[in-house]
Amino acid sequence: MKTLMKLRSFFYLLPNIITNIFSKPRTMNYPTEPAAVSVNFRGSVRVHSSNCVGCSLCVRDCPAFALELEGETNGRFRLIHYRDRCTYCGQCELSCRYKALYLDHAYDEPSSDRRNFIIVLVDHMAED
Amino acid sequence: MNVLQAMFQIFIFPGFVFLFVSALFFHWLDRKLIARFQGRIGPPWYQPLADFLKLFAKEDVLPQGTNLLFASLLPLVSFASVLTASFYLPVAVLTAPSFQGDLIVVLFLLSMPSLLYFLAGWITGGVYSILGGIRSLLQYFSYEIPFLLAVSGTAIASGSWSLADIRAAQLSSGAYIIPQWFGFLLAVSGLIGKLKREPYDIPKAQSEMVAGPLTEFSGKKLGLWYLTNHLQTVVGLAFLVNVYFAGYWEMNTLGGFIICYLLLILLQCLLSAISAIYARLRIDQLISLNWRVLIPLTLLHNLFLLLK
Amino acid sequence: MNKVVVPIGPQHPLLKEPMSFLISLEGEQVVDSVLRLGYVHRGIEKLAQQRTYIQNVYLIERICGICSHIHTTTYCQAVETLLGLEVPKRGLYIRTLLCELERIHSHLLWLGVLSKNIGLDTIFMYAWRDREIVLNLMEEISGGRVSHAVNVIGGVRVDLDAMHIATLQNGLAELNDRVEELTRSIEHDRSFAARTRGIGKLTLEDVKRFCVVGPVARASGLNIDLRRDAPYGAYRDFEMEVPIMDQGDVWARSMVRMYETVQAIRLSRRIVEALPEGAVSVKAPRKVPQGEIVSRAEAPRGEVFYYVRSDGTQVPARLKVRTPTLTNLITLSKQLKDVQMADVSSVIAGVDLCIACADR
Repeated sequence: MKTLMKLRSFFYLLPNIITNIFSKPRTMNYPTEPAAVSVNFRGSVRVHSSNCVGCSLCVRDCPAFALELEGETNGRFRLIHYRDRCTYCGQCELSCRYKALYLDHAYDEPSSDRRNFIIVLVDHMAED
Repeated sequence: MNVLQAMFQIFIFPGFVFLFVSALFFHWLDRKLIARFQGRIGPPWYQPLADFLKLFAKEDVLPQGTNLLFASLLPLVSFASVLTASFYLPVAVLTAPSFQGDLIVVLFLLSMPSLLYFLAGWITGGVYSILGGIRSLLQYFSYEIPFLLAVSGTAIASGSWSLADIRAAQLSSGAYIIPQWFGFLLAVSGLIGKLKREPYDIPKAQSEMVAGPLTEFSGKKLGLWYLTNHLQTVVGLAFLVNVYFAGYWEMNTLGGFIICYLLLILLQCLLSAISAIYARLRIDQLISLNWRVLIPLTLLHNLFLLLK
Repeated sequence: MNKVVVPIGPQHPLLKEPMSFLISLEGEQVVDSVLRLGYVHRGIEKLAQQRTYIQNVYLIERICGICSHIHTTTYCQAVETLLGLEVPKRGLYIRTLLCELERIHSHLLWLGVLSKNIGLDTIFMYAWRDREIVLNLMEEISGGRVSHAVNVIGGVRVDLDAMHIATLQNGLAELNDRVEELTRSIEHDRSFAARTRGIGKLTLEDVKRFCVVGPVARASGLNIDLRRDAPYGAYRDFEMEVPIMDQGDVWARSMVRMYETVQAIRLSRRIVEALPEGAVSVKAPRKVPQGEIVSRAEAPRGEVFYYVRSDGTQVPARLKVRTPTLTNLITLSKQLKDVQMADVSSVIAGVDLCIACADR
């Protein structure tokens, strides 16, 4: 047995490569086949606007300074999200006390225009 | 044979176009096999053609002070020498013009690209190119000798230095692969060194010398260098098939052509498997392996053949 | 023969992160080497003084991509001790499970890089193919393959349900077989040994003198491992076996790392089986009381060391990070003496440098 192992050490990987020829390859033909995503995947930032009260806890806790709250505090505000600064870490989802902000599974498409990355999440500016 | 037929044979089949398509096909086969050995999918069939066309469309820049005439001549001369070597090696179709000593001529023509490879590194300058060129010369002095000695074993067995006589001798006495299988393995090792594949690819080792002597080339010249390398694979394999396996096929028949091509594909699979298993040898390990182990073994093998 | 200076410069196929070596060659022997760092310096310590403790968790995660979870673990441990919090056991177990998974992924990545540098592409592909299993497991748990963002101050923010545990157990069982096969391949293959044995030797005295940590030290015979000597997290409940070798060359470091990977898989399976019930985090106040603290953890490359000083506000007064690569780098000048040019790639890959960690 030992001599067999010693002999095999001259070309140790040969059985492995022959086995691999006859098994399925482990790479996938992306983008022909779509990629699978897990349950906890942190995708696009969204808001249930009926729950959002404009408390700005998410703005305070964002590590990339990607959220901004415009307007006064008495019911008229606008929450803006800068997608090009966002790192999709999910701290805003953790900080939100009203269960308004969440990250879904959508993938944010890239774009060559900077203005496409300024997203208004909640617009209560024109309310009374 | 009239001029039109000669033109067809030189340029289309089995000449330039056939060799070009075969070179690309064998390169694709090599990459696909290595990918499957490693558990990947591998490139599609048109990948080498796409690479070749892309290289020919790119800009061609060289460092300041390079001798432009030589930088353009070197890839052309190496390409031409490999094509000329293919002139004497039939792929089971037609008998090529043959004379005494054309074995040596073919070997010399096949080794021209290695010398020109070093020169290419020398004239473009730069640390990586020159160091890679020096290493390729060191490697040249190590693998050529076992290759030549092993192949001359077949010349000894057939009694002549002409390729046509070696083929004819094998048709009567059986292919030389069976009695000289050890010489065949040594010749394969020499061929791997000539083609600068792993485990002998220290001159163009990507992790040390970026790309070796060809670091500064780009565009059409680089495309020609790569095409020369792929063509050298085909011609080198055809050479080995002619001197070792020629007893299995007959000239000028379709069946012979198919068998010969299948043998070429089989040898390419062997080359790919060897490239996948071994790590790259360091230059002193390469020289010591060749001079201390392989050359004495080849000499013993030839001595054995002479005494038989 | 005159000297040639070869720049293994900031951009080179050999390196995974930018650093600059100027290697002086005479023929094929390396005579001298000059090291330059700082190409990836981002000023993390200064940036940390401008962000709150909660925001700093995500900043610290981006010091390094390979050992990101260990950095956040050490930081969160430091801040939790300053706050006087006790993380519930389930949270500690999940944190430690991810630490071990990250160790496996880092060692498999390193094996691929070393094999590619010495020319064995096949083991590179095999190691990274098996690394995909670990990355998929980490994605199942946390939602990200590389940036997990699992740690918060006070615990973790994901929980494992029955389906996760089943996936983990299947994945770890499959990984076990493959990693053992890889270990056997490296141990016995002759061409791998020809390129790695006897190269970059560091004796025990050298290791003690340069204060080397991690697998590089363990491969030269120094018996240190923070998970056993100063346990943190869930390591207090488990016994560790630490592989030690004494040859001190690149081959010994490879074997130590592969044995560590096997150990990590075993430890992960034990953690998954022994997962206690309960909450995964406690609520942490935002203001941290005054004080200073030192926190250590065992990253895949050695001991990582954090110093946090707080002055009673929501923003730290000083954060200092000392990563293991910083100590291991100094040994390169000794290892690169009288080595052949072709061995430079083995030596550099064998020390497992993470320049992003070192430069911060």
